[in-house]
Amino acid sequence: MHHPPSGFLSPRFQLFVSVVCVFVSELLLKRGASQVADTESAFSWTGINGLESSLVWWAILLILASFLSWLHVLKYIPLSIAFPLSRVVDVLVPLGCWVFLGELISIRRWCGIALVIVGLAIVAKPVAQLEERL
Amino acid sequence: MNFLALTFILIALVSFVGGQLFLKHAMQPGQSGRTKRGFIGLLTAGISLMTVSFFLTLGLLQRFDLSYLYPFQGLSTIIISLLAALVLKEKLSLRLTVGALLISAGIVLVSIS
Repeated sequence: MHHPPSGFLSPRFQLFVSVVCVFVSELLLKRGASQVADTESAFSWTGINGLESSLVWWAILLILASFLSWLHVLKYIPLSIAFPLSRVVDVLVPLGCWVFLGELISIRRWCGIALVIVGLAIVAKPVAQLEERL
Repeated sequence: MNFLALTFILIALVSFVGGQLFLKHAMQPGQSGRTKRGFIGLLTAGISLMTVSFFLTLGLLQRFDLSYLYPFQGLSTIIISLLAALVLKEKLSLRLTVGALLISAGIVLVSIS
């Protein structure tokens, strides 16, 4: 194991960067996809028409950035620790849907989201260990 | 929720998990007897599957709320544990089973919301 760098390249900060990039990219993808939505055409199920939106391209850049910082994180932190921490994004995304996208989330949906988050919190570490072996 | 949408959600998830596994195998260091062509094959398979998953998700996002679609990603965790049980003959621990049940129950609630 190398000695982890500090500052901008510290694995903790890069984990934070990765989570924020994923979070923002999800919201941008939703915004972008809605902008160019063409639900009448069957072709739009392929999602390719989503590329007409510039927000989708920004989201792609953020996804690439999150991928790079995630690889950097994995150089220093084991997957069975980094992966559970990265699940914070599962809490952030529904909150972002509500705050930034103005989605009306029913009580029933909040309950479902909460169950999924609790379930993920329980399995995150063992799943990361499984994933390391797969 | 109609059958078509559910099918697309599942295909997007399975191709995402498949893509991850291909990429992981491509990146695994020091595998003896692996050719450069083998590496490129694995990498291409991984990137193609991730791309399929990305575009299907874009198609779904044109039709559904993000707060509706996002919880389904929890299923990828369950798919991984099932794969591990199948491929690695892992026993599913109590912790994994309980978590998987909670995630599934949550998905059901979200999908009827």
